[in-house]
Amino acid sequence: MDRVWDDYEPVAPDVGIFATSDWPRVNVYDAGQSLVLSADVPGVAEKDFNITLTPDGLTLSGERKTTVPEGYSAQRQERPAARFTRSWTLPYKVDADRTTATLKDGVLTITLAKAADAQPRQITVRAQA
Amino acid sequence: MSIFTAIRPSAKNPPERVDQRATNVPTVTPLVDVFENANEILLWADVPGATREGVEVHVDKGQLTLAARRAAVTQADARLTPLEIEQRRYDYHRVFTVPTGIDAAKIEAELTAGVLKVRLPKSESLRPRKIDVKVG
Repeated sequence: MDRVWDDYEPVAPDVGIFATSDWPRVNVYDAGQSLVLSADVPGVAEKDFNITLTPDGLTLSGERKTTVPEGYSAQRQERPAARFTRSWTLPYKVDADRTTATLKDGVLTITLAKAADAQPRQITVRAQA
Repeated sequence: MSIFTAIRPSAKNPPERVDQRATNVPTVTPLVDVFENANEILLWADVPGATREGVEVHVDKGQLTLAARRAAVTQADARLTPLEIEQRRYDYHRVFTVPTGIDAAKIEAELTAGVLKVRLPKSESLRPRKIDVKVG
């Protein structure tokens, strides 16, 4: 099927937010009792993630497949297919058993509970007689 | 050869951006894939973090507008201290020129795993049909 490709304006993927080299973009927060990591991963299925926790680091890898639906031809494909691996050194010890990962609306949220000795602690000041 | 002019992004977003609002949240252009077959056009846009309530799809005067608002992100939560921020809060906005021959009343949209999928059916008159040749 012929098509007038010249018709298209150049793609301007804005301010680089979706650059594939660092896909997916991730934010990391300290939530007091835990460390929260959130990644924008639209279109990635649960089974396509691989999350590995080691004593001193976290690795998130996975794959986003972008396929042309059967029976259709692609007119335009901007959404990147990506195989990704990103690793972080954790600033605190975390409790692997209390680490959770949830996927909602294309955002993956990993919550790492801080190990007991890494949690903030209130120190009571005692007046000395 | 297709007589159907492809759906394409408008060169510029119209000045009156949809709901660009009292908030100061910047908007970004979501990346899209566009697919076509004889009966319809599919437009898939990456809008991670957008919820169903925050999505607007509308067609007016040959322009298809997608707008999606992200759910309040965790950084708004005062308990959280940002350690590493690669993305600020933003919303999505993009306008496309829709070719004539789309049945606007039948456009459907669904949101799955952060991907907004819009289905634009072609009008009957543009669908291919087989013409029977009668023997004279």
